[in-house]
Amino acid sequence: MVKFVTDIWDTFSTVFKGMGITARYMRKKPVTQQFPEERWALPDRFRGFVHNDVPRCTSCTLCAKACPVDCIYIEMEGKGKDRRMTRFAIDYNKCIWCSLCTEPCPTNCITMSHDYDHSVYLREKLVYEFVGDPVIPFKPKKAAREEEAEA
Amino acid sequence: MHETLSNLPLLSGLPAQVLVVLAMVSAGGIILGCIAVGGMFFIWSERKVAGYIQSRYGPMYVGGWHGVLQSLADGVKLLLKEDIWPEKADKPLWRMAPLLVFLGAFLSFVVLPFGPNFVGANLDIGLFYVMATSSLVVMGVISAGWGSNNKWALYGALRGAAQVISYEIPLGLALLPVVMSTGSLNLGTIIQAQAGWIHNWHLLNPLFFVSFWIYVISSLAEVNRVPFDLPETESELVSGYHTEYTGMKFAFFFLGEYADMFVVSAIGVTVFLGGWYSGIPALDVPALFPLIFILKSFFLVFVQIWLRWTLPRLRVDQLMYVCWKVFIPIALANLLLYGVIRTVLS
Repeated sequence: MVKFVTDIWDTFSTVFKGMGITARYMRKKPVTQQFPEERWALPDRFRGFVHNDVPRCTSCTLCAKACPVDCIYIEMEGKGKDRRMTRFAIDYNKCIWCSLCTEPCPTNCITMSHDYDHSVYLREKLVYEFVGDPVIPFKPKKAAREEEAEA
Repeated sequence: MHETLSNLPLLSGLPAQVLVVLAMVSAGGIILGCIAVGGMFFIWSERKVAGYIQSRYGPMYVGGWHGVLQSLADGVKLLLKEDIWPEKADKPLWRMAPLLVFLGAFLSFVVLPFGPNFVGANLDIGLFYVMATSSLVVMGVISAGWGSNNKWALYGALRGAAQVISYEIPLGLALLPVVMSTGSLNLGTIIQAQAGWIHNWHLLNPLFFVSFWIYVISSLAEVNRVPFDLPETESELVSGYHTEYTGMKFAFFFLGEYADMFVVSAIGVTVFLGGWYSGIPALDVPALFPLIFILKSFFLVFVQIWLRWTLPRLRVDQLMYVCWKVFIPIALANLLLYGVIRTVLS
């Protein structure tokens, strides 16, 4: 009989205790991150999709040579002053995010970006073309001279 | 209501029988609309409360602010879904089950007193009627379980039958002292006995205090809510008696469940929590009565949702133990005690 009464007391006290706990959680701010709108702050050295800043690219092909999986395609036309870069593409189907391409780059134009959510429906679309119309490759010495002249 | 309709110029020429039918259909339509909108609101709030209790948001996108229209989108989805029939189902029973479950909840709405003049039908046996119609739900549960020709569904239905039939007894016994005190089964009369300040509410009367807790807990079992949701334990019975249902049939089970939650809460409010009275005489304006009644019922529904995300469910034997060895003896003793006190005092 005593146990009967203490059981009832325990039932009610524990239920109210549990409800207190859930009520406390209800008032707390949820920990959910609303993903596309809110994002994590990524670490500085995070290796996202490789990005090439074409206006600073000398088209030296050092990155393509460094790439262990040969996923960087660079094509050029003409010689001397008529030299044009016609294609700079990165095939992310192959890319292993090793960051080896960024190390030999003389102008630091190829970098690991902080983008990571580029999902596509067709794997052909994972070959990113960075050059549309043929561009004149970047000339570091000429650019330095122009900068000096401006200064 | 048919008097109101006969005053409309367009309908004044119609015979009285037609007007009665029209009044019934329009009242039924209004109730159906309220149940559908209310049910969708409860489903949304259940998901939001569940989310916040678990430190997440719940639905956030559909309808702009905090996903308010999520239930509407789900309803459209359920309407468009394929209606799958188990090949060896007992077709008539199988088709009837969702309607019976929904009907049980729907019929109870007829007598809910939202205000002194705001009742579908002011029956003198209102409380008894609600007890009767809410046990219609279990008929739907059993026919769903039997008709599905599925082991899980049948287990769920049998558990549901055992549970609901057992818990009707303490439920009724818990309401009896209040009925003895007011001398009426009319829900309006029971509320009018609690007029005035908050201490007139039956909950705060020490004689009815035990009754209230027995009622609240038994009503959880009556509507198959956690911690008594054994008919639909998803961890063992997939989804219990509605395992085989898809599309709109499933939606009817779902809507019926949430409508039932509102009904038991509304009866709890009527019998123990002062019904349409706010507990402060100055606030008791007739225009506010439905609002107060609905807010109190929503609060009890919220408590049911809150409990669902707090407690684990009971075992079958524990469920039966609580009913037959705890609630019924206590409810009977309570009834006897109240009778004795009443006789002595009078």
